[in-house]
Amino acid sequence: MSEPAISDPAPSEHLLQVEGVTKTFGGLHAVFQVSFQINSGEIIGLIGPNGAGKTTLFNVISGYYAPNAGHIRFNGQDISGKPPYKLAAIGIGRTFQVVKPFAGLTVLENVVIASLVRYPKRRQAEEHAWKVLETTGLADRATVQASSLTLAGRKRLEVSKALALEPTLLLLDEVVAGLNPTEADRTIELILSLRRQGITILIVEHIMRVIMNISDRVVVLNFGQKIAEGNPRDVATNPGVIQAYLGEAPQ
Amino acid sequence: MNRKHLLFTLVIFGLLMAVPSVVRDTFFLRVITEAILWIGLAISWDVLAGYTGYLNFGHGAFFGIGAYVTALLINLAHWPFLLALPVGGLAAGVVAAIAGIPTLRLKGAYFAIATWALARAIQQGALVMDITGGPDGMRLPPFLHPHFFYFLMLLTVAIIFGGYWFLFEKAPFGLKVKAIREDEQGAMSLGLNPSWIKLQAFVLSAIPTGILGGIYAYWITYIDPASVLGDLVTDQAVVMAVFGGLGTLIGPTIGAVIIFAFKTCFWAYLSDYQVLYLIILGGVIAVSVVFLPNGLWGTLSEYLRARRIMKNNTSAPRATDKGVRHV
Repeated sequence: MSEPAISDPAPSEHLLQVEGVTKTFGGLHAVFQVSFQINSGEIIGLIGPNGAGKTTLFNVISGYYAPNAGHIRFNGQDISGKPPYKLAAIGIGRTFQVVKPFAGLTVLENVVIASLVRYPKRRQAEEHAWKVLETTGLADRATVQASSLTLAGRKRLEVSKALALEPTLLLLDEVVAGLNPTEADRTIELILSLRRQGITILIVEHIMRVIMNISDRVVVLNFGQKIAEGNPRDVATNPGVIQAYLGEAPQ
Repeated sequence: MNRKHLLFTLVIFGLLMAVPSVVRDTFFLRVITEAILWIGLAISWDVLAGYTGYLNFGHGAFFGIGAYVTALLINLAHWPFLLALPVGGLAAGVVAAIAGIPTLRLKGAYFAIATWALARAIQQGALVMDITGGPDGMRLPPFLHPHFFYFLMLLTVAIIFGGYWFLFEKAPFGLKVKAIREDEQGAMSLGLNPSWIKLQAFVLSAIPTGILGGIYAYWITYIDPASVLGDLVTDQAVVMAVFGGLGTLIGPTIGAVIIFAFKTCFWAYLSDYQVLYLIILGGVIAVSVVFLPNGLWGTLSEYLRARRIMKNNTSAPRATDKGVRHV
């Protein structure tokens, strides 16, 4: 599978390079020899049926799992197997599919914790956290306990925390799923405004409307393997992708 | 903490400073000194349990290490007490750092069991070693000056309280620790290294405990494995903190005062039924875990906050009635 001649004269142009990454649990290949690149400023959609390995791949990229094989390069630097807190410090922010805010703390405190990576002084960290909450539209909820937020609020808080790291690469794991259409539109707007600020985004999402509208390119996983990559329209008509989602056409 | 709280704290501290000039009875001075000691032990247990979420059932080991190291330095190396004392605290910190690396990977009950076992091992060590006097314990040169120990205890615990308040309530460190308590995995994605932060909290909990042990040894002038390394030191600190309210500094302080007052009365009037004390202690912890899961202070402050919100709701929304959405 690994072609030695990756047509790539200047590898540093890619912000993130996933090279032949494999992650196995027991005998199961959760992710198998997946390779793709993300350029600075892109929004890449990562899709696939349930259990395709999307979240596992996220966990490998963000340092929660070390890959069994392959490499991850960020700004040309090999980051495979580095712990999440180091990756957060060099600019990789992520959200979790199952949102778990620090429930006993206020919304502001939740975001301040992330801001501390960039602003070690508490006052500056708080100022920065306020700014982040204003861009994500949570400023009016800043002083309430995080546990009292609605699901939409929690998802916004999750994004706020990742943003407070001032990431260059943001990994979003199903931040739209479960929201009502109005909330979803607000989140999509937010994601697009982040891209305008120069943040590169890798997004996992089940809602095709979201993926198709905002992604520059889409990577499709099925049973841990990459089965397609390209612009959203081509991918949506790719027979392999349709088969993965809908199953074999009866003969 | 706003200005009102600061003023309140200073008034309490001032009153406590004046106690020896009012209380002539050395027995009562001794009781108050010990109460202050327990405040120190309860809050130092709580910074790991309440703030970080790690229940250390070997807290007494740090107390005993501080006591024994201080005693050994005074008896064998003939160090002056005030020089031996910080070394005793440091020794407790070093043991915490070494023990913390493997044990802080464990969670919940497993951490509790590991720390409990470590404390038992250290107690056995003190029992079999010659240098510590084995089961006979150690005597220290007597320096029986109740006022000196009262002020030393008060000052030490005040510094511990103030230091913890700054670190865990004011400084960013407190937020980091709480983040790890709430969700360790999530905290990692925000740039926090849980192992390192937990280890710091563990050492910060151990050093003051060791210092208190050193003061205790020189004050009581006699230590043995049962008194300073036994389960009771840990158990009482745990009950005080849980009863008062975890995750705050005020809660364990209130808990320590109430439980210690109870213990003293019990000892004074019902000393024939000592065994009952432990049964009641166990009962108190069971009842407070079931009926006051947030402890006395947690429940009280929750109630006061709810009442304040209720008050605001009945008066404030009238003015902005149009802005209130009814969901």
